[in-house]
Amino acid sequence: CQPDKLDPKPEILFSDQVVFSSPARIELQANNMYAYVKSGTFLGGRFQIYNDIRANDFINLRSNGVTGTGVWNHTLTETSQNDVINTWGAGYQAINQINVFLDGLDANESKFIAPTFPANYAAKASNYRGEGRLLRALCYYSLLQLYARPYVDGNGSKPGLPLRLNGQKDDKGNDLARSSVGDVYKQILEDLDFAEKNLPLNNGSATLNVTRAHRNTAIALKTRVYLSMAKYDDVIREANKLVPAVGPFVAPTGVPNALNASVAAVFTGTQETTESILSFPFTSQDQPGTQNQAAYYYLPQNGGGNGEYSLNSGAGGILSNAAWAATDARRTSFVLVSGTESYLKKYPTGAPAPYTDKAPVIRYAEVMLNLAEARARTTSGVDPQALLLLNAVRGRSNAAGVYTAAGLTSATALVDAILLERRIEFLGEGIRNIDIMRLNAPIPGKGSISAVNPTDMNYVWPIPFTELATNKLMTRN
Amino acid sequence: GSQGTSTDADGKYTLSVPETAKALVFSFVGYDSKEVAIGDQSTINVTLKVNTTGLDEVVVVGYGTQARRDLTGSVASVSGKQIATAPVQSFDQALQGRASGVNITTPNGVLNNPPVIRIRGVNSISLSSGPLIVIDGIPAFSGNSSAVGSVPNNPLSNLNPADIESMDVLKDASATAIYGSRAAGGVILVTTKKGRRGQSHLSYDTWVGWSKPVRLYEVLGAQDYVTIKNEAVRNLNANRKSVGAAATNVEGFKLTDANGVSADTRWYDYIYRTGFAQSHNLNFSGGTEKTTFYSSVGYTDQKGMIVNNAFQRVSARLNVDHKVFSNFSVGMRVGYSNTHNSSPNTGSVGDNSFGSAGLGRVPILLPPNLAPYNPDGTPNASGPSIGAGPNINPATGGPFVIGFINPVVDLAGNRFNSDGSEIQGSVSADWEVIKGLNLRTQYGINNIAFEDQAFYTSLAGTLSNPGGEADNYYRTNKRTNWQNTAQYDRSFNEKHNFSLLLGNEQQTTNVQRWGAVRTGVADPFFTTFQGNFTTITPSGNFQGANYLVSFFGRLNYNFDRKYLATVNVRRDGYSAFAKKYGNFYGASLGYVVSEEGFWKNAAFAQAFSLLKITGSFGKVGNNQGIDDFVSLNTYASGFYGANSTLYFSNAGNPNLAWEVSRKSDIGASFGFLQDRLRGDFSYYNNLVDGLILSVPQAPSKGIPLDRILGNVGSMRNTGVELNLTYNAFQDKAFNWTVSGNVTTLKNRVLSLATEGQRLPTSTGGLETANFTQVGNSAGQILAVKSLGVNPANGQRMIQKADGTVAQYNHSGLGWTNVADGKPTAAPNQLTDGVYYGPVLPTFYGGFDNTFRYKGLDLGLFVQFSGGNYIYNGTKSGLHDQRFWNNEVDIMDRWTETNTNAKWPRVVYTDNVSNGSALVMSSNVEKGDFARLRQVSLGYSIAQPLLERVKVANARIYVQVQNAALLTKYSGIDPEISTNGANNTGAGVDRNSVGQARTYTVGFNIGF
Repeated sequence: CQPDKLDPKPEILFSDQVVFSSPARIELQANNMYAYVKSGTFLGGRFQIYNDIRANDFINLRSNGVTGTGVWNHTLTETSQNDVINTWGAGYQAINQINVFLDGLDANESKFIAPTFPANYAAKASNYRGEGRLLRALCYYSLLQLYARPYVDGNGSKPGLPLRLNGQKDDKGNDLARSSVGDVYKQILEDLDFAEKNLPLNNGSATLNVTRAHRNTAIALKTRVYLSMAKYDDVIREANKLVPAVGPFVAPTGVPNALNASVAAVFTGTQETTESILSFPFTSQDQPGTQNQAAYYYLPQNGGGNGEYSLNSGAGGILSNAAWAATDARRTSFVLVSGTESYLKKYPTGAPAPYTDKAPVIRYAEVMLNLAEARARTTSGVDPQALLLLNAVRGRSNAAGVYTAAGLTSATALVDAILLERRIEFLGEGIRNIDIMRLNAPIPGKGSISAVNPTDMNYVWPIPFTELATNKLMTRN
Repeated sequence: GSQGTSTDADGKYTLSVPETAKALVFSFVGYDSKEVAIGDQSTINVTLKVNTTGLDEVVVVGYGTQARRDLTGSVASVSGKQIATAPVQSFDQALQGRASGVNITTPNGVLNNPPVIRIRGVNSISLSSGPLIVIDGIPAFSGNSSAVGSVPNNPLSNLNPADIESMDVLKDASATAIYGSRAAGGVILVTTKKGRRGQSHLSYDTWVGWSKPVRLYEVLGAQDYVTIKNEAVRNLNANRKSVGAAATNVEGFKLTDANGVSADTRWYDYIYRTGFAQSHNLNFSGGTEKTTFYSSVGYTDQKGMIVNNAFQRVSARLNVDHKVFSNFSVGMRVGYSNTHNSSPNTGSVGDNSFGSAGLGRVPILLPPNLAPYNPDGTPNASGPSIGAGPNINPATGGPFVIGFINPVVDLAGNRFNSDGSEIQGSVSADWEVIKGLNLRTQYGINNIAFEDQAFYTSLAGTLSNPGGEADNYYRTNKRTNWQNTAQYDRSFNEKHNFSLLLGNEQQTTNVQRWGAVRTGVADPFFTTFQGNFTTITPSGNFQGANYLVSFFGRLNYNFDRKYLATVNVRRDGYSAFAKKYGNFYGASLGYVVSEEGFWKNAAFAQAFSLLKITGSFGKVGNNQGIDDFVSLNTYASGFYGANSTLYFSNAGNPNLAWEVSRKSDIGASFGFLQDRLRGDFSYYNNLVDGLILSVPQAPSKGIPLDRILGNVGSMRNTGVELNLTYNAFQDKAFNWTVSGNVTTLKNRVLSLATEGQRLPTSTGGLETANFTQVGNSAGQILAVKSLGVNPANGQRMIQKADGTVAQYNHSGLGWTNVADGKPTAAPNQLTDGVYYGPVLPTFYGGFDNTFRYKGLDLGLFVQFSGGNYIYNGTKSGLHDQRFWNNEVDIMDRWTETNTNAKWPRVVYTDNVSNGSALVMSSNVEKGDFARLRQVSLGYSIAQPLLERVKVANARIYVQVQNAALLTKYSGIDPEISTNGANNTGAGVDRNSVGQARTYTVGFNIGF
């Protein structure tokens, strides 16, 4: 008998005792937080896809339950695996990886000393904490958009999510009640405020400035979060940190995030212009996974995708909206007509695989339109800065189509113009359904699918049965 | 005192005896022993009478053998002969119905998929319930080992079934405890053939076979398809209109396209074929006084009923035993084989039942009005999907490309194969130190290399990867096993017989696998991994290592062969557990009542010739199927874009320990009418404790895989087994033997990780029909109760838990209450479902009839099973109202003139009313069946004729496997198990292919 043979050491797995033993291993874990958030079933693809196809700009062509048919036609149940169960699971898997890492940074602080660690490692550790908190906020924010009522419905009083803020490593603590929507948003903002204070101003390279969080990332996300809460003054305060009063629209601090001259360029090549504040990268070794890739869903089969969804050419769809001119760069660059259907070509990397388009999270144009909308909603009449921002985004793709104050006439018309612009600008980026629901508005119908009213059961997704079965304090939607 | 000798090859012997000796006892395995008084004879010749009871047959038990007469444990034996001619890939596939207590299910009709073996029920939930398979003393690898989901590879197929002498199935604690930690699912001991002293034997066996599919679903032809689907669109528009919505869907299903091309395709014709298989085995064996040997070569080439499904094996074996000195002998067993498996993607293996390319599903789903080929002979394709043909998408008005593959492209260009190369064997030495004390050492290896390949042509590609793809995986399983035993046999006063075994065993297993996926073929010219592709991604990398160390002992005692007792103990250390060591034991008693004087002298003794009563109790463990590093907290490395990562990959459990089974068994063996009727009966009770289960973690905790293994939960299997053999008629010319066995099983889950827990087991990751709950049998089906079709409006009616009957109007009013027509919440499987079960058969067995008339022999073998329910998910797909084709009975759908219909009013895109989106009771059926598994008719050429041409024996035969099936089950095959060997996922039929019917003609000849 050889006792040591009873403890064979795995060759491709690390013991949890050694993962904080060097700066390099900690850096690998920091990368990992992003890797989990950009899971193909979460913000690496499906989350964005679901938030587009729930609304009315896309038509489902494949009737395939695996690729979102149930999402598209609002027939999800608490046992729906690919969407209801998997999205929830992927979101919380990411949250726990982040929490375990954050706990580990605190627990191992005493190890961060020379000579293994550089003398200024405490600052580096704070950067990591900032990244962790930012990503955690992004996860909770994303899950709220599908599994909870909008903030404006009851001013945050409706049931939100179980707030897990500590790393889970053992079999304790299954039961945790839902915090209110308001409390979850409060935590999200607390995390983002922390991130803003602790993140570096600049990550040092174009790639890292797009794929890792920096201070502007935290601020930009805050503008989205406050907009979702209809806290427009806060949107304005945060957005003002990044958006100058007049053009050129370049962030005055940190990474010089800016509105790129060409929207097409934002989605070509490496997709690393300064307009992209946060996008998740893929490589051939790190693919979104089968049936998670945006290009697979939106490109037709002869364009390298699978033609899962075409653009809705029917009434109500953005394709048939007169405000989207035929000469609009977003139409000429991003709409591909194949046969009788029109498809979205924003993610150009179809065949041959491996679908390495970055998954967009937030870009500078959104911060501008967030600010524009917040200003429009808090000013009577046509807010001139809001109009300027709206036209900056619209005009770069459709110079002839810019709005005039006279043409818009009222604050409501301005807001409507901004919302319409957001549909065109962010088509296929997972913003559309969030824009509808944050206003507690009906989700429009399409084809044979009826509209979903805010009072309908299926306005928000059901809580997965896997959670209900294991967490006794969990409640249904 | 006594002394003895054995005869030479010709049966001659010499023995010097002391003058006090009075008698000689002659004995031989399988014959009645005979006592002859010596008197003053110097030559004593005897002829022994064949023993018909089988009581003196030798049963292989752990680390030794025992006469069945002295056995107190529960052991079923199957001889190699019984399975030798079955046209199977691995021997375990042929064990169906052959042994009581052993239930074997063929989960699908793909060649070389591992059968699901359950000895006395499921014995675990998370770990393997399969038995430990030991080949000539060396534990074998079992279970599907292919890295490519489409093609199964059962490593047991590396053993040529023709080389098997016997298979002994250890069932109760007494028999299995010597295997301690690996014995919870029972043990199958396989012994390969040996040469016999003084005999020289050469034999050649061959068969050829043809296989065909049976019981394929009858699906709609083009005309009916178009009728039904357009009617469905019409009904959808009506539903839309009824809620004031636009009703603009196009009745776009057509018989002829714009160019006048039409098709009425029976897709089965492109997927199934008549398979052809052949097998050849040549062996020669023999022996001298000192050395015996058996050697063989075998070749089999089997082409299945599914296009591209094939199995080949080339094997060779050499078994040698050599006596170096009179008290010291050595032995060697070595088998080498190459196997080749290839299979298209049938969706029947590898948890892929919902795959859009699965050939179980494709022929029943594809529209029949699509043609496989264009008029110019090219395959009908649109990208990786089949072309639109004449169909217009009702929703968009454009050509309807449906996103499913064209199987002819798949079959012509894609390739999935798994090749195996195995060397398995051992060397051993036996030393009889003093009389009765034998020391033995055996060192064995079992090394298998697997090369698994998948290739997707860029002409078809995969739906998710249209650029073509080549995947290669290489895996090695390496095992060494070293056993040392000491056995001491001693008798006192001729009545007290002791046999003591002490031993030690160490086993080291290492598994490595690496592989990669290449995509984006440079040119369709390349059809192998080595060609040029634009990307390469590592895939399937795996490393495993485990070590088992054991100390064990066994004491057998019998008094005058009347009172029998056996005690086994074993202490095992296993690397995968946090608590390394476990102690296991088994004890049994036996009483041969018919050996008592009062019985022998009784009047009924002539009629009631044998009665033996046995009982056993013991505790065994289970480590089969546990991951090597699962008790550790580990991190693994991955990618974030171009950078590496390190992630928390497993939450371990520092208290993880052995899963334990407490087995008890009471049995009796009996013989009537001079043993013309023989049988045995036993009652078993197996309490599995400390079940290793994933203690369910709330998904919101985000624990990796949402699981932490813990020793929680318990389960009980109880039942009875009965074996009977009746020599109904025995005469020089005519001989008729009937034998049968039946086993009952009652499985109850006694506790799970948490109170009220429902443990779901999903099918293909998309549907969950099986739920395991305390008080039920494992994996029962949870389905909402369907009350059929509402004659008033053709809507499916579902009874909810609160008593409300809801009906479904697709894309119209949705779910409404039948009573008042008002909207009601959709029925939900979890709140409104009721359990149907068990999914495990409550009884099963086999029934074998052998007739022999002169040279002719006729065998009829029936396998039966029942008491279980099946979730027929395939049936729900067959009535789905998306563009999918339907089974012909959809014609009996509700219309205004056919209100008493079997199926609801068809509404285009409705996948609820048929059960695709909601597990409902109308798709749950009973699974009782009796299968005429084998019919064989043989003719043995008469001896006098053979002797003239110096042939020892010759037989030709014809045989039909799966000749008939008697069942009320409406699906393709009641044996289907889409979830394979999953303990809690039995009884699901989802898009799997059924078993073939095989006709074989065989011939064997011996010299």
